[in-house]
Amino acid sequence: MRYRVRHSTSYHYATPVDLSGHMTHLTPRALTGQRVIRAEVTTSPDPARTSVALDHFGNHVGWIFFDRPHERFEVTLLAEVEVGFPAPPDVSATMAWEEVARAAREAGPMAWQAAEFLFDSPMLPAEPAAGQFAATCFAPGRPILAALLELNGRIRREFSFKAGVTGVNTPVSRVLAQRAGVCQDFTHLMIAALRMHGIPARYVSGYLRTRPPPGQVARRGADQSHAWVGAWLGPAHGWIDLDPTNDLVVRDEHVVLAWGRDYSDISPVRGVILGGGRHGVSVSVDLEAL
Amino acid sequence: MDEMVDGKGGLRPHWRSLLGAFTALGEGGLKERAQRLDRAFEEEGVTSILPGTAAGELAWRCDPVPLPIPAGEFAALEAGLAQRARLIEAMLEDLYGRQSLLETGAVPPALVFGNAGFLRPLHLSHGPMPPAMGPRLGFYAADLVRGPDGCWRVLSDRTSDASGVGYARENRRLLARVLPEAFRPVTVRQLRPFFDIWQDQLQRLAPGGRTGPTVALLTPGTRHDQWFEHMFLSRELSCALVEGGDLTVRGGVVFIKTLRGLQRVDVLLRRVSGRLVDPLELDASQVGVPGLLDAQRAGTIHITNDPGTGLAEAPGFAAFLPALCERLLGERLALASVPTMWLGDEASRMTLMQDPQHWLVRPATDGNVHAVRLGQLQPVERAIMLRRIEQRPWDWAATASVDPSMAPCFDGERLSPRPVVMRVFLAHDGQDWRAMQGGLARVMEAHDELAGRLPRGGLSKDVWVLNEERGDIVGPPVVMAPPLKIRRASGDLPSRVADDLFWLGRYVERLERSARLVRAAVARLARGAALLPREISELQSLARCLAEAGCVSREAAAPAASSSLAEALLGTVRDGGAIHRHFAAASRLTESVRDRLTGDMYATFTQTLRAARADAGVVGRSLDGLSHAMVSILRYSTSVAGVAAESMVRGGGWLFLDLGRRIERAQAVAGEVAIAVDQQPSRIETGLRLVLELCDSAITYRSRYLDVLQPAPVLDLVLADQGNPRGLAFQLVSIHSLLDELGSPEEGREMLAGAAAGLLAEVEALVERVLGEPDQSVAAAALPPALAAIGTAVAGLSDRITRRYFALLPVAQTIGVADDDEGEEPHRAPDREADHVAEVVS
Repeated sequence: MRYRVRHSTSYHYATPVDLSGHMTHLTPRALTGQRVIRAEVTTSPDPARTSVALDHFGNHVGWIFFDRPHERFEVTLLAEVEVGFPAPPDVSATMAWEEVARAAREAGPMAWQAAEFLFDSPMLPAEPAAGQFAATCFAPGRPILAALLELNGRIRREFSFKAGVTGVNTPVSRVLAQRAGVCQDFTHLMIAALRMHGIPARYVSGYLRTRPPPGQVARRGADQSHAWVGAWLGPAHGWIDLDPTNDLVVRDEHVVLAWGRDYSDISPVRGVILGGGRHGVSVSVDLEAL
Repeated sequence: MDEMVDGKGGLRPHWRSLLGAFTALGEGGLKERAQRLDRAFEEEGVTSILPGTAAGELAWRCDPVPLPIPAGEFAALEAGLAQRARLIEAMLEDLYGRQSLLETGAVPPALVFGNAGFLRPLHLSHGPMPPAMGPRLGFYAADLVRGPDGCWRVLSDRTSDASGVGYARENRRLLARVLPEAFRPVTVRQLRPFFDIWQDQLQRLAPGGRTGPTVALLTPGTRHDQWFEHMFLSRELSCALVEGGDLTVRGGVVFIKTLRGLQRVDVLLRRVSGRLVDPLELDASQVGVPGLLDAQRAGTIHITNDPGTGLAEAPGFAAFLPALCERLLGERLALASVPTMWLGDEASRMTLMQDPQHWLVRPATDGNVHAVRLGQLQPVERAIMLRRIEQRPWDWAATASVDPSMAPCFDGERLSPRPVVMRVFLAHDGQDWRAMQGGLARVMEAHDELAGRLPRGGLSKDVWVLNEERGDIVGPPVVMAPPLKIRRASGDLPSRVADDLFWLGRYVERLERSARLVRAAVARLARGAALLPREISELQSLARCLAEAGCVSREAAAPAASSSLAEALLGTVRDGGAIHRHFAAASRLTESVRDRLTGDMYATFTQTLRAARADAGVVGRSLDGLSHAMVSILRYSTSVAGVAAESMVRGGGWLFLDLGRRIERAQAVAGEVAIAVDQQPSRIETGLRLVLELCDSAITYRSRYLDVLQPAPVLDLVLADQGNPRGLAFQLVSIHSLLDELGSPEEGREMLAGAAAGLLAEVEALVERVLGEPDQSVAAAALPPALAAIGTAVAGLSDRITRRYFALLPVAQTIGVADDDEGEEPHRAPDREADHVAEVVS
């Protein structure tokens, strides 16, 4: 599938900001299964300085600095991307989940990079309750993909999608207690649950097509920045992306921006401003199938 | 093992002359020296009460007995530590670069990816690598203990921003002063050359080999445990002492905000935790500098030690260093760690489980957490601990229980042996690592057996590296680095320091005004019912002045409220009272400008302030006590004025201290005279008398005019006479010339000076007018509105000075990571801003 992405974030400040710096994760990664035809990040007003790099995880990261008073800041991604991730492997062909955990723990040449996603991360300290929630999916010897698909479905069924009941910093324990949240919360929950079982899991940020494929139900979280889970199937099969918000295996409805241990590693736009008083932010996302 | 006596009860040779010197002090001699040493520490501020800490809380003391180490032995330690520093540098190079150590399993991922000290923004995977960043480590320290076998081993590697070097130097300085006899029979190596080497290194680290680079030490500020050390280092290394708020990044270049504008920084000596240096990319913090890492990547600044170096402080690395040394340096590790195991390794776990008694357990990646001694736990607790380890073994490291050597310490009466740990400091001189020829030894307390972070206090010892007497000196002589480059201290005053000095001046004066008013009111209240009508009227005026100064509420100042006035006056020194608050502000500001004060000045400022606070603290319900405390405050303000006038160079610092004081006093005089003369014309004399009292000008008046009290001469003395330091004209003239002296012909300054001159002319005209009137009393009684207007104009002048010189300090807020959708108010730094804003309003 080919998509046109438009993601715009704008900040408005009550009083002028004298000096500001922003760090963005706004450019889609090139991947097997994802071809970035073009991608352009534009900024208004004109920045004093910009720089770009690939971060620790291999994501595109950008920096934008202003040193003159400004009352708003707008950054927009315009991109055209073609996606078609391979079908997941046959469930029964995947390793037993305990074997995956062992391979990650041993961190051999094929596993040491995946091992990074086992450990606690800034927004996801070890959460035993998340492990307990997922425990029924992890029967001894069960193939990892079977466990993952069941967990993915359970989150979709047992949690309600509600905007406004959680914030950027809501801990997983609270999401579990209130059985409601948005994509970021479900993603964090699933990652925490997998890590409690020794399965490397990462946070993927990106977009979901705005209108569902013909004849299908509307997707949740489609008109904003979306997030889902990358889970490790072991050295042979590598990573698979699962969207617990919609109980989907990521194939051709998602566009990947970046991944990290949790939201804090790859927040699309973060910044530090000097002055500015109160501020408001508005975000618009559109992923149009071409 | 005992440091002083050998196994056969004999004295070790290098202790002989030292003990001889102690014996020669005679009965009680050592005790007396120990007390002098304690006092010296207290007076010179090492143990001084930092803002917010209670007196007598943990503080550093120095034992009069040093820890002597023969030069040959120390040289071996130096060589071993130099190798470790090279090893750690190479390890960091890989872990922040190709990560082949992880790929090949030489280092387990848990120690890096599970380590909060691994700063991912400093590991860019494939991006344009920064142009030759230079070494990550420039300064390194290690804690060492000597085991029963006589060998020193490393207890912890301090790779980020090790502290203690300042204390070591201070120990030496004071010990040499208090106990000079002990130094005579031996040759103790000097500490100072180390700082020369270090200072030279900092200069050399400037990107692009810039000559005459600006070096700045980044500190979290006065509230930090190590503030003393930061201040000390900035002096010793001749670099600017800056907080995050003093720096700004523009166009990928870091600058200090100074009064003269932006001044480029080339090298940053980092004393802020690596995780806090840049809130844009790392943890949110008020002590960091947004954009700093971008500047580092752009290669415009060298940060030392690199923010990511804290990674190597993880205790778990000790288990891997011998193999890493072979691999990275092709050498055997010369100086071993205290035996340490990483419990993610199954064999290590087995070893631990077989014999838990002998091990101390702590998190594998956090060396700053106290270790748990498994042998000392109750069986149930131990089982719980072991289960936690079983569940997440990669999170834990075990270190063999150590039996550190004992060194004699003076316990108040005699020498008794205590376990010691020694911290040794190294800096890279461009070719190799050099140790400071000395160190900081400290008595190991029961709870900090493995503590990596220096505790906030304790008993420390000076470490003496002794040249052997027979001349067969092993190891290098005291090293002098290649000829030092000429350097200039970067003296431009940061805006924040100027701001703090300005406000310190204002608070000192504010304390003085409050004290004078309170004392005058108390003197009258103490006479109870026996007050004359004149005195009652004076008391009412005083109450209004007190209310105006924010000392008492308007209700308490209302006429016929004398009992509540007394109560309100007593309240000024209690928690939350005006004088209590001013004390806190003055003491905090003194601390934050401490690096601008000489030792003597600082001692005078703080000792008299402490005395005043102590007197205020015991007032209770006694008006007498209150009066006494006010005298104590006046003593404080007078000493500050005296010391500042006598000892401060008339540069930027003094100018702002004095400017603050003059502004505050000008406002107060205008306000108080306005209130005092606000009388029926027939009773103006009462007001005039009070004016002379408040302006401390009664004696001068009497010497000029005898007992004849008339409005124009009184007003001339307190308002227009430029020679009266308590009068208004004097303040305005001073303000004018201070603004003039600020130098650089920049826009705005002349306008400010002009405003001060204009005010002076107005005041003179005011007095002229009274003199010209047929009835001076009527004219005087009509002055209050004009005086109030002058007070307002002075306040306006203060605002304009603030905006012109200091208003470069808005507060940073982070967006996009916290819950920012609601547009919260920015998080204010709990520091000066809030205070100052409130004060401007009053």
